[in-house]
Amino acid sequence: MRIGMFFREALRSIRANAAISVAATVTALIAVFILGAFIPSFMYVRSAVDAQKAKVDVDVYISDNASIAQVNALKGRLDVLKTDGTIAGFTYVSKDDALRLMRERLRDPSVLDELPSNPLPAKFNVQPAEAENANAVVAAIKDDPALDPTEGIVYPQTTADRLLTAAKFVQWAGFALIGILLIAAILLIGNTIRLSIFARRREVEVMRLVGATNWFIRWPFMIEGVICGLVGAVVAVAMLWGIKVGVVDAWASGADTALTKSGSAATTIGFPLLTLVLVGAGAFLGALGSGITLRRFLRI
Amino acid sequence: MARIEQEKPAFTLVEVADDPSMDAMLLAPPLEPAKRRKGDIFRPGNGPMVQFQGVIKKYDGEHRGLDGVSVAINTGEFVFLVGPSGSGKSTFIRLCIRELRPTSGNVIIGGRDLGELRRSKVPYLRRAIGCVFQDFRLLPDRTAAENVAYALQVTGHSRQEVRRSVPAILSLVGLEGKEDRLPREMSGGEQQRVSIARALVNQPRLLIADEPTGNLDPETSLGIMDLLLRINRTGTTVLVATHDQHTVDRMQMRVIRLDDGRIVRDAEGGYNEDPGDTGEIA
Repeated sequence: MRIGMFFREALRSIRANAAISVAATVTALIAVFILGAFIPSFMYVRSAVDAQKAKVDVDVYISDNASIAQVNALKGRLDVLKTDGTIAGFTYVSKDDALRLMRERLRDPSVLDELPSNPLPAKFNVQPAEAENANAVVAAIKDDPALDPTEGIVYPQTTADRLLTAAKFVQWAGFALIGILLIAAILLIGNTIRLSIFARRREVEVMRLVGATNWFIRWPFMIEGVICGLVGAVVAVAMLWGIKVGVVDAWASGADTALTKSGSAATTIGFPLLTLVLVGAGAFLGALGSGITLRRFLRI
Repeated sequence: MARIEQEKPAFTLVEVADDPSMDAMLLAPPLEPAKRRKGDIFRPGNGPMVQFQGVIKKYDGEHRGLDGVSVAINTGEFVFLVGPSGSGKSTFIRLCIRELRPTSGNVIIGGRDLGELRRSKVPYLRRAIGCVFQDFRLLPDRTAAENVAYALQVTGHSRQEVRRSVPAILSLVGLEGKEDRLPREMSGGEQQRVSIARALVNQPRLLIADEPTGNLDPETSLGIMDLLLRINRTGTTVLVATHDQHTVDRMQMRVIRLDDGRIVRDAEGGYNEDPGDTGEIA
């Protein structure tokens, strides 16, 4: 009964102050929209960086002159590294395999037909358990006699270092940005609701005069804030959905093959979960905004 | 001069009977006396309804609100609080409903020392006191009926109770048929009647009015004063702050006169008695 009355009061005040209610709703919409565009982007970039980190491979090239015993000895050393957890695994790529891979990669494979013999060395492709372990792998086997004297060990050291730095940066910058966005959204909504309450300061005075308790005054305002926040969030989600279907999905399906080729395993937050988070954020922002703003008007 | 005033009959309903809206009031059933209810904040007993003990209220700087006021208003009295503007009338009223707190001294309402009243109890104090102001203080986007209903909703009355009480109280103040008017669609006198209905609907035992006729023409003012008198006859203590000399002279009630924050006179009679009267306080 009382809840029903508070709802009627909230709806009445939204109707009576239509302009300010629209302003608060639009503010919530913008805040939730930015949040909703940022969260999946941030999670995508983070996941992409993680995927790249996993792909820091070390190529150990084998000399054409190495004996089978020497190659087996090298393989033994890699087995030890695998056992102690430094590396996740390794695969042997023979001279023939290497040529075949090269042939696949080239736009015009016929040039390879001109070669008198296969110039590509065989190699072990080593996957470190962590990108950070690449240096340890190199240190462990760099003196091995089976290594190819010219190619030796090849791994993207600078790429690995940069990726690690980038991953950390993306993570912290992401959290900081989400925090700043949330604070900005609360302040924005709070300010808009302050406008609404300021316009109705006399009304709040009258309510106090006839003996309304602070919560009796506060509930309709907070429900009003939640309604504005929810409506703004729902519209923002609808807009984000439109952009996802119309722009992102279309672009992704066009670029699908390219992404698959590069082996990207990057994923992002699912849309249903995102919707839940954003609608929750909208309601939370509305309630908090009006709750905080009312405080100074309710001091007796 | 004072003699003549006293020989005049006390203010009666007949005097304002030519005001058309008064007809309805004359026919209206008598008001029910205020009862002690559950959650009543006032302490039972026969002490004064309003008691000020050496109350000093200083505002920032030199400007003084009240400068040592001691006075008692008994249950069931009708009292005028008069004085020029800036004399402390509004300060007195605002201390009673704890919109202000005294710099020193005690304000005791219904046996409760407001200095010891917890902040969370202030809304309950305000429910026990009906308040009427010069500027009506109605909620602008609500009809007459909704304004009165709000005071009932605040005290937790059900919708049925609201539906039953509001039309009755509005017809009591002479506003039947105007339940659905917004404040801006009503005259000043009608708005003040709505605010009186709102003050009455919770059956307060103390009704405080701050310049209730300040914005009204003399005819309408008499109607409002008559209404307050009728309320007083049901046992409700009524305190009216006003500088409306005409009305005060007509009603011949107890008059407390404030000047520069001090009580300079406390006696029955008109607004301005000659110095040397029995009621004069040195």
